[in-house]
Amino acid sequence: MTAIELRGVRKEFADVTAVRDLDLTVEDGEVYGFLGPNGAGKSTTIDMLLDLVRPTAGTVRVLGSDVATAGVAIRRRTGVLPDGFSVYGRLSGRKHVAFAVESKDADDDPDALLDRVGLGSDADRAAGDYSKGMRQRLALAMALVGDPELLVLDEPSSGLDPAGAKEMRDIVRTEAERGATVFFSSHVLEQVDAVCDRVGILRDGELVAEDSVEGLREAVGDGATLEVSAPGADDPAVDAVRAVAGVSSVTRDGDGLVVNCASDAKTAVIGTLEDAGVAVDDFHTREASLEDLFLAYTEGDAAERDPDATDPGSDDDAPATEEVGR
Amino acid sequence: MSLQAIARKDFQETVRSRGMIALVALFSLLVAAFAFAVRPTGGSEQFATELLLSVFVGPVLVTTLVPLVGVVVGYNAVSGERESGSLKLLLSLPHSRADVVFGKVAGRGAALALAVFVGFLLPAAVLIAAPIAFNPGAFLGYTVFAAALGVVFVAIAVGSSAAAGTQLRALIGGIAIYVLFVLLWGLVTGRLLGAASPVVDALPASSAQVRAFLRASNPTTGVEILSNAFLGEQLFSGETVNQQVSAAAMLVFWTVAPPLAGLLKFDADDL
Repeated sequence: MTAIELRGVRKEFADVTAVRDLDLTVEDGEVYGFLGPNGAGKSTTIDMLLDLVRPTAGTVRVLGSDVATAGVAIRRRTGVLPDGFSVYGRLSGRKHVAFAVESKDADDDPDALLDRVGLGSDADRAAGDYSKGMRQRLALAMALVGDPELLVLDEPSSGLDPAGAKEMRDIVRTEAERGATVFFSSHVLEQVDAVCDRVGILRDGELVAEDSVEGLREAVGDGATLEVSAPGADDPAVDAVRAVAGVSSVTRDGDGLVVNCASDAKTAVIGTLEDAGVAVDDFHTREASLEDLFLAYTEGDAAERDPDATDPGSDDDAPATEEVGR
Repeated sequence: MSLQAIARKDFQETVRSRGMIALVALFSLLVAAFAFAVRPTGGSEQFATELLLSVFVGPVLVTTLVPLVGVVVGYNAVSGERESGSLKLLLSLPHSRADVVFGKVAGRGAALALAVFVGFLLPAAVLIAAPIAFNPGAFLGYTVFAAALGVVFVAIAVGSSAAAGTQLRALIGGIAIYVLFVLLWGLVTGRLLGAASPVVDALPASSAQVRAFLRASNPTTGVEILSNAFLGEQLFSGETVNQQVSAAAMLVFWTVAPPLAGLLKFDADDL
């Protein structure tokens, strides 16, 4: 079965088109990371899954049913951690979870769920006194009520400290092992890397890439970023570096240069600078991180770039960072 | 069931609302003070409870303060959750938007009814202590009418809240409801009646009948008609029976129609 299926979905608001002609499929049991910068249309898409927002065109099906007609039945089988929500300030944490249990006709023990998200000792406090991270945990506890078949988590780690974000990932993993489909959005890539089977990247309301994390990394290519400390670099020297085969861009950063190039062009770059009479004090390289990859898709033109055009002769096993002092 | 879950949640929230507690405490004190002030000094008056309620407490306090509490309890029921974002949490659970609107009417209405009963306890104590013939049946019955009045205003305010996209509009709507039904009904309908006199003349009803209908169709005066009939032991009988029936029907109308109308708009909105 297909957990989530969007076909030709478009959403126009009065002044902006938030989502354009989006086709998206999430299979049963999959952990799908829905990525994009803020304002890309992620929350609008999730709001359409929940029937909070109705598409201008296209169909949205969740767990096999159309959300426009079967929203309540779908949400009975779905756990949701919304974005930008607020809690009922006068009600305790336990009452929140008990309300979710009652709403879903489930038989979970609210205290057990609160324990699971680390709020066991705060169950009796009014949720209005909770911190942002605690509210996020509370909403997660509510989402876990009734062992849902599908978990929709909108920016689940927002407001959480690194330890909290890790607990969140652990819970996502546990739920996935139980057999639940997990669909979550994020603008932080490292959360996705660790838990996702598949990633979709949304930009300006369009899906610009969809693959496994490894697949995306390959598609963008494994270029490196070379940071060179060379105070004496003048314009001719910079031009000479630009002309080196495998160099895609050179930018000045104070006394240094930031060179994007294929991994095997690094030596040639340093050599060219020295040939031009520029003293290189220090340099280090960085493998393309997921962050670079993400930025390439969301800001640059990687989506249109042919993956085969990247240099194949790079060393995959090289350490991510190597520092060379001179 | 979904509607009950929302009703219970809203009930728990509303009975913790400081605004409502303060208003009901004020109401209770005022009614008790009235009861004390107008207590008969002789011991001969048999209808003291009824007189107190229908002449003093009713028109001066109940029909002005209870609708106010109702509007305060209801005006931000939906719009407040919409603006704060807790509506997202609510609609992430398997609730329909109709469940939300009517669950809120039920939960907040019940909370207000409870508050009205509690608010009448102190005046009851004053009446029992005062040297008059306290009629608990009449007093309790009147309390039911006061609570019903409050529930109708909760329903109207929740309907307006569901239709309002923002808290500001909901607030304006709440104030408008109060001003129209409590302060200006007689004036507004009188003017309309005056302006529309050619139309009214053409109706197969006398202008006195139209006036009587307009009186019965305002929940405030409608409850007054019914409670006075009740205190005069003429509920759904006697001369005014027709007017009482219209008043009762209009109370039902005001409880159901505004939430429905609000739901129509709420259901179509992107949240």
